[in-house]
Formats: sequence, C-alpha cells, structure tokens
Amino acid sequence: MAEGLTWNVYDANTMTQADIYGEVLCALGEKNPDIVGLSADLAKSTKIGKFAERFPERFFNAGVAEQNMFGMAAGLAKAGLIPFVSTMAVFTTMRAAEQVRTDICYQQLNVKIIATHSGISFGQAGTTHHCTEDLGIMRSLANMTIIAPSDGIETANAVRESVDYPGPVYIRIGRGFEPNCNDSDDYGFQIGRAVEMHPGTDITLICCGITVLQAVEAAKHLKENDGLSVRVVNMHTIKPLDREAVLSAIQDTRRIITFEEHNVLGGLGTAVAEVVAASGKACAFEQVGIPDCYCLVGYPEDLYHHYQLNMDGMVQKVREVMGRDFEDDEDWEDEV
Amino acid sequence: MATEKDLLVARIFLRALFPVMKVPLTDDPKMKKRFRGVTARIQFVARDPNGDIGAYLDFTDGELDIIQGVHETPDIAFIFSSVSKMNAMLAGKPVIPKIKGIYRLGLFIKVLALFLSLKVLEPDAKPKDSVKRRLKVKMTVYMITTALSQYNKGGDPEMVDWTSKQPERVYQISVTGEEDIAAYFKVKAGKSKAGRGFYTKRRPFVHMKFNGIDGALPILLNEVNMVEAVRDGLLSLEGSPEYGRDIGNFMVRLQDLMM
Amino acid sequence: MTISDQEIKEMEKRAKQLREDIIDITYWAGGAHIGGALSMVEILVTLYDKHLAIDPGNPDWEDRDRVVLSKGHAGVGYVPLLARKGYFDFDLLKDFNKFKSPFGMHPDSLKVKGVDVSTGSLGHGLSMAVGLALGARYKKKSWYTYCVLGDGECNEGSIWEAAMAASHFKLTNLITFVDRNKYSVDGPTEDVMGIEPFSDKWNAFGFIVKEVDGHSFPALSDAIEAAKNETSGPVVIIADTLKGKGVDFMEDDVKWHYGGLDSDVLVEAKASLNK
Repeated sequence: MAEGLTWNVYDANTMTQADIYGEVLCALGEKNPDIVGLSADLAKSTKIGKFAERFPERFFNAGVAEQNMFGMAAGLAKAGLIPFVSTMAVFTTMRAAEQVRTDICYQQLNVKIIATHSGISFGQAGTTHHCTEDLGIMRSLANMTIIAPSDGIETANAVRESVDYPGPVYIRIGRGFEPNCNDSDDYGFQIGRAVEMHPGTDITLICCGITVLQAVEAAKHLKENDGLSVRVVNMHTIKPLDREAVLSAIQDTRRIITFEEHNVLGGLGTAVAEVVAASGKACAFEQVGIPDCYCLVGYPEDLYHHYQLNMDGMVQKVREVMGRDFEDDEDWEDEV
Repeated sequence: MATEKDLLVARIFLRALFPVMKVPLTDDPKMKKRFRGVTARIQFVARDPNGDIGAYLDFTDGELDIIQGVHETPDIAFIFSSVSKMNAMLAGKPVIPKIKGIYRLGLFIKVLALFLSLKVLEPDAKPKDSVKRRLKVKMTVYMITTALSQYNKGGDPEMVDWTSKQPERVYQISVTGEEDIAAYFKVKAGKSKAGRGFYTKRRPFVHMKFNGIDGALPILLNEVNMVEAVRDGLLSLEGSPEYGRDIGNFMVRLQDLMM
Repeated sequence: MTISDQEIKEMEKRAKQLREDIIDITYWAGGAHIGGALSMVEILVTLYDKHLAIDPGNPDWEDRDRVVLSKGHAGVGYVPLLARKGYFDFDLLKDFNKFKSPFGMHPDSLKVKGVDVSTGSLGHGLSMAVGLALGARYKKKSWYTYCVLGDGECNEGSIWEAAMAASHFKLTNLITFVDRNKYSVDGPTEDVMGIEPFSDKWNAFGFIVKEVDGHSFPALSDAIEAAKNETSGPVVIIADTLKGKGVDFMEDDVKWHYGGLDSDVLVEAKASLNK
C-alpha cells in the first residue's frame, strides 16, 4: 500500500475534533434567524463552512477581501443581524484591524469574530500566517471582549454565550486538531470567569488556549513526581480578565506562571502582570510565551515543544520557579 | 550471509510477531485447552556464519514465554539454512525448514496449530468467526506496536531519525468498546518502548482509536486508507495529524516488510 | 423629470440654507472640511427632500432608508441638514468641535440622531453600506442604502473590494454617489493618484454608471429614481461637482479642502451665496 496521505482541504474538515463549534452555530442558527455568517474564502478551512452548508442564504463569502468583509459585518450588524465572521487571526487583527476597531468596536456592534489559526498553530505556513500579536492588539480596543478557548468544546461554549453577549466578541482558536481538555460542555462556562482545572497551593499556572491541557498534564505529573500542588487556571477570557482569579492565586499560592501561544508582550501574561503589579503583594511571577520573535516553521506540536508551551516545558519551568526565592522578610530575628 | 535488512526483518519477526502467539493462548479457549499442562521448548533458528539467529517458545505448564536466542535442547526445532529463508517462511512463503523432534507428534501438531493461528494476521485473512475477528485485531495491535519499537531498536535509519528528533511522546492505539485491546509505542530522543494496554503516566501525543472490531478490520485489511477511515468514522485520530500520518506510514511499511 | 419646478425652487432654498449653515459651523468650530461639504450639498438635499424614506421623529425606525456618508470628513455638511430636518436642535451645533460635544469633524452614529453609520476613515463606508444592503435583502426589507463617496477616497483599495462585493451580490438596493469634485488634499486627484478613467472602472466592477451634473436637482433626482428601478445590479451616480461650490472664492480651489473663517471672511462667504 502507498505511503503518505492523499487528502485535500475538503477532507480535512472530517478529520478534526474542533468542528463542534460549527454544529453549535448551526443549532443556534436554527433558533435565531438573526445569526448570519461570513468568511473570506476560508469557509472550507474553518468550521463556519458547516453553517454555510446548512444556511446558504445566510452565509456571505467575501472572497479574499478581509477589510471589506469586516466592513460588511459591521453593516449587517447595523441592519439588526448578528454576524459571525471567520478568517485567520492574522488577517482579522492586522489586515482588517481598522475595520474591527473603527467600524465594529467604536460603534459597539454585535459582531462575533472567530479568528482561526491563531498563535503558531499553522506552524508550516510560517510567519505570514502566524499570529502571536492578536491578543495584544485586541486588548487595546475598547469595547472588545476576548476569549481564547482551551479546546473545541470550549469554543462551542464561547460561540453559544457570545450570541447574547452585548457588543463585539473576539474568539481565537487554533487549526482545529487540538485535543479536548474538557470532557463535556456543562462545567459552567461564563464569559469573564476563569475555570480552575486543577487545584493547588504551591504555584498557579494561568493559561489559555492549547496551554490549558498541557498545564493540567504538567500539574498531574508534578503532583506524582515532585509532590507539588499545582493550581491550573483556565483564563479563557482575556478581556475582561477575571481579576479575582489572579488575586486569589497571588493570595493562595504566591507564585504564578502564565502560558500562552502568543508573544510574551501584550497578551495574557501582560494582562495578569497588570493585576499582580497593582495588587501590591509579593508574588513570584513569570510569563512564558513566544519570546518577542517571529517563529520558526514546523509542525505546531514541535514548535510548542520548542517554545516550552507543552507539558514538558511547563514541568521544567515550574521546577525552575519553585527553586527560586522571591523577596521575603530580610529580617529573621525573632519577635520577642 | 544475512544482510542488514534480513537481520532487521528477522528481529521484527522474532521479537514482535512471535510474542503475539500468547494472545490466542489466553483468548481462544480451544487453543488454551490444547496447551493445558504443556511444558516444552520449541526452537526457531536460522543458520548464519556470523551466528545463528533465533528464538524459542518456552512453555511451562501451558504458560508461554518467548525467549530470544538458541536453546541447547529444544523439544522441537525448526531449522532454516539462512535468515532470509526463515524470513520468507514467516512471511507466508512456501519454505520448508528442517524439523527436529517431529516424532513428538502430539506436541508438533499443537505447535503447528498455534503457529497457524498467526495466519489470521495476513492482510487478506478475513475471518468470519467473531473470536477470530477479535483475535486478528488484538494480535495486530500488539504486534504492530512492538514492531515499531523493534524497527527503531534494529536501527532502520529513517525510523531512528524520526525517533531521535522527538521529546518524550506516547503513541497510543486502542479499540473503542474493547478494553483489553490497547497498546502503545513510546519514544524519546532515539529510544523506544512498546507496551500493552494504556500508558497512564502521561497523555498520549497521538491516539489512534479504532471504532470497534468492525471499524478496525477494514483498515487492517487495507480495504480503506487512513483518510477514508477517518472520514467514514472507522478511525479517530487525536493529536498531531502529521505525526499520526507518520505512524500510519511506518505501520504500512512494516506490514509490507512482514507479509 | 421626477421633480417639479416648484420642488426645485424649494430645494434651492434648502441648499442655500445648508451652505449658510456650513459656513456658520466652520466659523463656530474654528475650521472644517468646508470645500468637500459644499460640493455635496445638492446630493444630500435631493436625497433628503425628495427620495429618502425617513422619520426624524423616529430616528431608529426599522424600515427607514440608510445613509452612509463614507466621506465622513464632510460631516460639517451633513449634520446641519439633519438638524434642519428635525433630528435634533440646531443650536447644539454651535458647540461643534468643543469639549464633549457630540459633533466633531466626523459624524458619530452613537451620539448624533440621524447618523446611521460612524465614518471618517476613508474607505470604510462602502463596505458597511454593502453589509446594510445585504442585511436588508436577507430580512426581506425594501429600504435602500445610499452611500456617498469622495473621489480621492476611491484611491482606497477597500472601496474596490466593496464594489466587487456589491456587484457580486447584485445589490440593487444600494445606491452609491461619488462626489467627483476632482480634488483630494494635495491637489487635483489626477495629479496625486489618478483615478481616470473613472466610469470605466465602475463599469468594469459591474456597476451601472450614471454621470450627472452634481449640482442639478433634476439630474440628480432622475438618476436616483432610475437607480431605484434598476434591476440588473448596483448603480453608481458620479456627480460632477465643484469643490467649494456656492462660495465664489472657494470654488474649485483645493486650498479650501479644509479651512477656517474669520468674521470678515464669514460675511464675504455668505454674501457670495446671495449672488
């Protein structure tokens, strides 16, 4: 039998686990006729294609013209509809950045953006299709809500919640082959509320996106092998950030490491750092992400390993931070 | 004299194929009955100027172990004049070895039956009986994972290159609905290990889940390829699709080598 | 002809009023995009007096026609018309550009009643108009979307993306105007970044092109009426206009793309309208 895989982009649709959100969107579409979909010639590569198949009259392909697409989405929202717009993260946040900001955010329109292939999940495509800046860019837009779901199930939840959530919503996902870290969708997903994935008291790993699953695996490993009690927080909503979850991590564990498939500058790590700094409390803190560089080409899993965004990298990082002392009492004299 | 390839193939047969003979002994009641109480040693050996290559079946009161190497006093011995001849026979070609101890007819017939049970692994063997269908899937899953590891340990350059570039990763195979049909292949910087069951110490990097015996068989019979299998719901691939494809490729290659 | 002589007379009065208002606001605001506001007066007056289905008392009326002033910098020529129509009190415009005023250089849909879409960054409006038109069709509504573009604005690639989409989706409920006053900021459009052959481009993008005198009410009105009845695809009305039209010392002069007026010039400008 021949080696290698013969497949095409239409086949790829059936090969992923992350198509759950496409189905959820269809189900939502059944109930709400105001939901419409848009894509920039990427309907087949993103799960919005399912919606397109089910409701061809409610799906608008803008062709390879992202700026126009987001302008159109704004117009559709102005006409009273709820547009779900999907294209790759890099084009959403940079090619059409102005439309997202000026047409959609400034006018507080009900446009729900599903940005695919974020981070370095499209590893093979190289920098032109990577997007390690989107969280930073979107954070600076007033009125924007930002969600980085940990898996296909959470994406479906995010899509579901975003329908009635007021104003623009930005949901950043990967390429669709990411494994599930949630068993089912009824764990009480709420926009703006972080989820504790693993309890712990020695150190907290605050993560989003694909790093959540890796962190849970790391926590389990560290518990068994190092006897460490590692808390894992799934901070799926980057904006508005769940400040309480961060403050509680500072209070309870005094050590935080953030992980994200994004530049260390500007994204989740920075958002958490803002809370840590403002809290005025001592806390060992480190950010792990893409170290302000353009990434290598490679399969995403190999890249995650390279940038320490997988379980092994996290275990190593935790051990490093645990071995570190943070500013403490200099005065060790007994109080008498 | 045996070539490098001959030796690699022999290694896979002796270390990956032979051990799956244990499966019918535990899972097929008829076979279990046949070997109840049997204690004997059955040698397979190929003569080679650089040293004989072989392994023997070590029965102790019906329990089987496969031991690599040559036993001094086997009860039955299948002797091949060369490694390539032994490989050919194990691949199903009509090669007749010299047989010592054939006068132990009772034992010989039992061994033959056990050995013939391996035929179910052939790519075009389509068993109808549900016990045999299950055996085929289980034996293949066990065999292929060990074969992958032996291929690496045996030094195939492409396989070694593939394993050396990877951090610790586990490739898991399982069959939904069949708890005892699972095996894994673990790699780390050039090292490899095959194991039975589920690897529990970390999450698999790739998990190939066959959708029941009925999902597995068409794939093992090469009636569908991996893309079709996933599309039709016979197989689900969790984890990196590129590395899943790589594993699939190596499995196909090994199948071709052995059959 | 779709309008009577009587109607033309009334529209001329309204146009003069609008020009006076533009001059006044430019004075109050300390400066405005006066040239491009004056050039599009007839377009807006024709629309608002004759063709738009609107209800100033009910600015959010679901079935109203939508207007997208894609050349948003000419907002100084738009908001006074809305005020005169009754959307809000005209006196509020005296605070144009001042601290916390809802009126700034570019119209804000969240702050000014009657403004359907916030614009200002050139190149955005037509896409949003396309979205509106698509939305109307999807919801099976019969309201029209009118979009006013600047000619320099047509340097923006996003305009052509939108045009491509409008044609692809055969948006006959979208009526586009180009205020072809032949200047952008740095000079005549043809010197800065030429857009000719302009009509050919729109044709090539699948539009039905109507070239009209942009200061003639009958011509504009007829073109709009024909556009509303067009069934084969979207229509673009290329209105040949003069930047600064109405004020003799500003007409056809690129300098007045943006400017301020002192009290003397203010008087001169208004006097010029009466000539």
